[in-house]
Amino acid sequence: MSNFEEVGEKVIETTIEIFTTMVMMDVASSGAPLNELGSLQKSITGMIGLAGTHKGVLAVHFPNKVAMAITSNFLGMDVEDMNEDVQDAIGEIANMLGGNLKTILSEKGKDIILSLPSTISGDQYSFTSQAEVDQLILPFKTEFGSFYVEVELEK
Amino acid sequence: MQLGRYITEATQEVFATMIFMDLEPGETRENEKPNIDANLSSMIGLAGDLRGIISVLCPAAVAQGITGAMLGMDVTELDEDVKDAIGEIANMVAGGLKEAIAGDKKNIELAIPTTVIGKGIRTSGLKGATSVWVPFVTPMGEFGIEIKYVLS
Repeated sequence: MSNFEEVGEKVIETTIEIFTTMVMMDVASSGAPLNELGSLQKSITGMIGLAGTHKGVLAVHFPNKVAMAITSNFLGMDVEDMNEDVQDAIGEIANMLGGNLKTILSEKGKDIILSLPSTISGDQYSFTSQAEVDQLILPFKTEFGSFYVEVELEK
Repeated sequence: MQLGRYITEATQEVFATMIFMDLEPGETRENEKPNIDANLSSMIGLAGDLRGIISVLCPAAVAQGITGAMLGMDVTELDEDVKDAIGEIANMVAGGLKEAIAGDKKNIELAIPTTVIGKGIRTSGLKGATSVWVPFVTPMGEFGIEIKYVLS
């Protein structure tokens, strides 16, 4: 298994862990990594930059429905609008995943610092990175729909 | 630390050396949402003594015009060339910002540029973050460069 594939396996593990313990939502990996993401519809993306010895980006892409379900779990109340609470919740997920990715990569001797999480959302958008990167797009499923965790690391 | 000035100067430098297009910087705005109707946003994360994100926000025509000026050809859609071009501008402005901030004895590291293209895209404010943005006028219209950040 290549180095990057190992990272993928650990990202899957940590995603499941975060959702089980912090979001209280059942999630499962839903198959092989995708080659590309295509256009996202009525979705929100949380992202955080990785810098230092290795540069990259971690992004997590949710359809609005899944994002609102996650936020409802975080807040213990029904969220039915794509409001600031949802942006905060998705930013927080990106932050937690980013923190765990940092640990995964530093176990492999990489010294990473994180930027701040931010979100982007819209009716229809595409998200691509412009660097020469190793890329992983990991699909997951929940009872509310699918989502994707994307890791880009500069070669 | 004068981020508005640093962004303005870094952007002027990029345009003067690589893009050969007229550029008129506007006044720096603080803690205001940029009023650019952007179809394209190229972003790059910043980490270190300052943590945040810098974004280049462009309407389609402006992004295409800038790319066309860089490549010396007509660009008529938001394609790979445009993503690469605006991503590269984000990267270079961030690099200029890093140099300028080093003069204030602060060190930042850059992540990698990513570009979002879409309709009706909204970005979040970062909780507790300061935002500074600078509008720029080109022959094709206005674009903006925004930094949202917290100091570590």
